[in-house]
Amino acid sequence: MTFQILFAASAGHIYLGNTIWYLIVFAILLILVKHYAWGPVSDMMEKRRQKVINDLDSAADNRKKAEVLANEREAALKNSRQEATQILTDAKANAEKTSTQIVAEANNNAASIHEKAKADAAQAKADALDEARAQVADISVTIAEKVIAKNLSADDQKDLVDQFIKGLNK
Amino acid sequence: MERSFVFKFLGLKFDLTGIIGSTLMAAVVLFVCIWLSRKVEMKPNKKQNVLEYLIDFTDGIVKDNVSDPDARRHLSLYAFVLFIYIWFMNQLGLFLEVKVGDTMIVKSPTADPVTTMSFAMMTLLLSFTFGMQKFGTGGYWRNYAEPVSFLFPINMIEEITNFLTLSLRLYGNIYAGEVLLTLIGNSFAPSFGVTTLVLAAPLAMIWQGFSVFIGSIQAYVFVTLSMVYVGKKVTKE
Repeated sequence: MTFQILFAASAGHIYLGNTIWYLIVFAILLILVKHYAWGPVSDMMEKRRQKVINDLDSAADNRKKAEVLANEREAALKNSRQEATQILTDAKANAEKTSTQIVAEANNNAASIHEKAKADAAQAKADALDEARAQVADISVTIAEKVIAKNLSADDQKDLVDQFIKGLNK
Repeated sequence: MERSFVFKFLGLKFDLTGIIGSTLMAAVVLFVCIWLSRKVEMKPNKKQNVLEYLIDFTDGIVKDNVSDPDARRHLSLYAFVLFIYIWFMNQLGLFLEVKVGDTMIVKSPTADPVTTMSFAMMTLLLSFTFGMQKFGTGGYWRNYAEPVSFLFPINMIEEITNFLTLSLRLYGNIYAGEVLLTLIGNSFAPSFGVTTLVLAAPLAMIWQGFSVFIGSIQAYVFVTLSMVYVGKKVTKE
């Protein structure tokens, strides 16, 4: 039988004592290695695994936060740009309005000044006519005095006056 | 074949070679593990990196073959220690073989079928335990009759073949490696004077390097198959 030959090849004995010895040595080795080397190292590996998981999670969180912040900032920027455009548009409209107002006022002023000048001119003309009439009266009186001196009839006098006035109106 | 020093204690036979080798390597494994894990930090230093890489490696073996998360948690430490321990035991005989007269004192403990059978038995007992914890004793026995009842004897035989292949594969590889190394050193080197002595040195070196590779592969295979057997016991097919 192969079995026996194999055993015989080694020492010619079956030594069960060794088996027990191996089991005991292995058990002690198992306990000591677990206590001194395997235990601490695998604990640390597990701890590191947890730390890596935590780090990854927090990194993802941070990225999400940064993304939100960036979005907010972009929105704010867009808003401010819009505001600036609004302000600019308002200012432009205001300026246009003011300018229109100023031009209208100036036009009004010019018109009123024109009107006034016209009225003044008319007034001056009337005044001049009145004055002229008064002077005509004086002149007529003077003429009359002269005519009287020449002894004219009333009709002649009237004709003279009228002719004189007509001459003035021309 | 070489003889070894066997003594009787409490009615049990003890082979000194295996005991010295395994105890020595257990001490080395413990020393290395403690040395690598002196300062355990959140930001790992170089030594811690080595240990973490090893733990990751054996954890990967467990993860690939055991789907049950509860068993996986318990097996992580077992796979780690088993891998390192078997690896060191495989390498021991490559650089240290002590013979007093005709009696072997130190060699690879895994070049001895009793050692490998001990570890294979440990793995199988562990797999029975996990299976019974998971399905209960009745459920565990019923799993042997899955998927059809007439497979029960075949499944029972499979347990024995698992045990034999698991242990004898490791034993055969390491034993053959040592035999060839002994042949090169003891028989080939002095056979034709200086010529073979010079030729034997690189040959022994090449074979030693290859044996380191074989020892690593066998440690990996042993742990992987252990996990496969345990994984099979804790999953319903």
